[in-house]
Amino acid sequence: MLAARKHIPSFLKTLLIFGFGYFFWLILKITLEYVPFNPNVSFLMIKQTEVQDRPEYLSFFYTHVYTSIFVLLSGFLAILRKDFGIKNFHRNIGKVYIFLILILAAPSGIYMGFFANGGFLSKISFIILGSLWWLTTYKAYQSARQKRFKEHKQWMRRSFALTLSALTLRIWKVIIVYLFHPNPMDVYQIIAWLGWIPNILLIEYLIAKKHI
Amino acid sequence: MKILNYTLASLLTVSLLSCKKDGKMNETGKDSVIAKKDSVVIPEIYKEYYGIYTGDFAGMEKMIDETDGSEYEGSINKRISLKINRITKDSVYGQSIVSGNQRPFRGIFNESTKSFVLDEPGNDKTDGRFEVKLSGDSITGKWNAFNKTAVKSPLKTIKLSKKDFVYNPNFMLDKDSDLVDWSNPKDFVEKYTDDETGKTESYTTSKNRVASEAIFNLNASKQKLSEKDLKNLRKIDLEIIKNSVFARHGYSFKKETYRYFFEQTDWYIPVSNNVDKELSPMEKENVALLNRFIKYAEDKYDSFGR
Repeated sequence: MLAARKHIPSFLKTLLIFGFGYFFWLILKITLEYVPFNPNVSFLMIKQTEVQDRPEYLSFFYTHVYTSIFVLLSGFLAILRKDFGIKNFHRNIGKVYIFLILILAAPSGIYMGFFANGGFLSKISFIILGSLWWLTTYKAYQSARQKRFKEHKQWMRRSFALTLSALTLRIWKVIIVYLFHPNPMDVYQIIAWLGWIPNILLIEYLIAKKHI
Repeated sequence: MKILNYTLASLLTVSLLSCKKDGKMNETGKDSVIAKKDSVVIPEIYKEYYGIYTGDFAGMEKMIDETDGSEYEGSINKRISLKINRITKDSVYGQSIVSGNQRPFRGIFNESTKSFVLDEPGNDKTDGRFEVKLSGDSITGKWNAFNKTAVKSPLKTIKLSKKDFVYNPNFMLDKDSDLVDWSNPKDFVEKYTDDETGKTESYTTSKNRVASEAIFNLNASKQKLSEKDLKNLRKIDLEIIKNSVFARHGYSFKKETYRYFFEQTDWYIPVSNNVDKELSPMEKENVALLNRFIKYAEDKYDSFGR
């Protein structure tokens, strides 16, 4: 009985690792569309108004794109809480994750939120998402410094749940377009919220009920 | 002397045709006088028949019934333009334009019956012979493919009327146009659960793309379009808005989708298979913008990404 109960989480864990691996690969391919540097490719194809009117837009955009892929990777490696035989691996990879978000990924994300596609509704969503991302990550950093590791773990899970919105937002998009074929910006307004709200609700539920 | 006869004959026909054409009648007269003086220039006669004749190009084609797969003869209709550029004593020169295929033709004009026999060059499998008759401002008759087996419908009937092609940036699709793109159905697998037996079956059905009202409101020939105007549009809308520009310049579309949309209007006169040089700078900018959005819609609309 006890063995069976132990088996389920390990199966789930494997599934999550492979699932993350698959979607990380897809995100990596999207990131590589911006290599080499080209200001008129992919998402930027419909962002030329900002690219031309705001000289700083491209810097923020590329900061976000190029750092976020490492945020995903380092966050994933840190949340496994293993050192893989490397001294202080969790601690160091965790620092990479935290500083990339606090200094680069979250501020550039919030900036881009102000110019998000889909009008006011999606702008608000992305600005809140970016702010919560920064805040939860900062809390995770602070609690680790204060050696309050239970809190650190909880804040880190919140932070990573928001990080994963990069994947969940795009997964929801595929599902919604497949089912309903709405106009592009109508989808965008929906996924702007659907990308992170369920994530954070699920993690709050797990923290409250399962005390993880 | 013969030339004078032609001139007189043409003068007569013109005056018989309508009294309004007085101005043109003088022109014809003047031209023949000049032609008579200069013997090198081959005299052009019947200048009043020059122009663009646009209308139906209809035929029967073998079609396959989608429900039971049986073959049947269905009628198809395309919009064709015949451009009569030059008529001399023994030759007629011009072009035919249908679904993006622009072909020169050469032939003869029989003045007594007012009929043309016009041959396309014959080095394209879609070439053939027009045998048409002119009456007033309309041309009727038939077209026969040279190679009867190479084309789907080797015999066509022709019903055209003379139209003056004018570019007008205000031309838009009519508000009561059919918005369905019938020529690009997409197959979907749908599931159906029988309420009584509870069995689920899946079947394939096809859906057609439908354009939105945006195609009546956005005119890429008159206003500089912004990204904001286009962001929430589907690919079909972007394509129609873009191709409205080309339709206004008389572009003859190869794609059935656009032919169907623009042939619903009476202003659309296909006159050329390349109008790129005619576009205004603003139209060029708008077309570039629309192309970007069409590409984005193609690449990104239903894929994993933004």
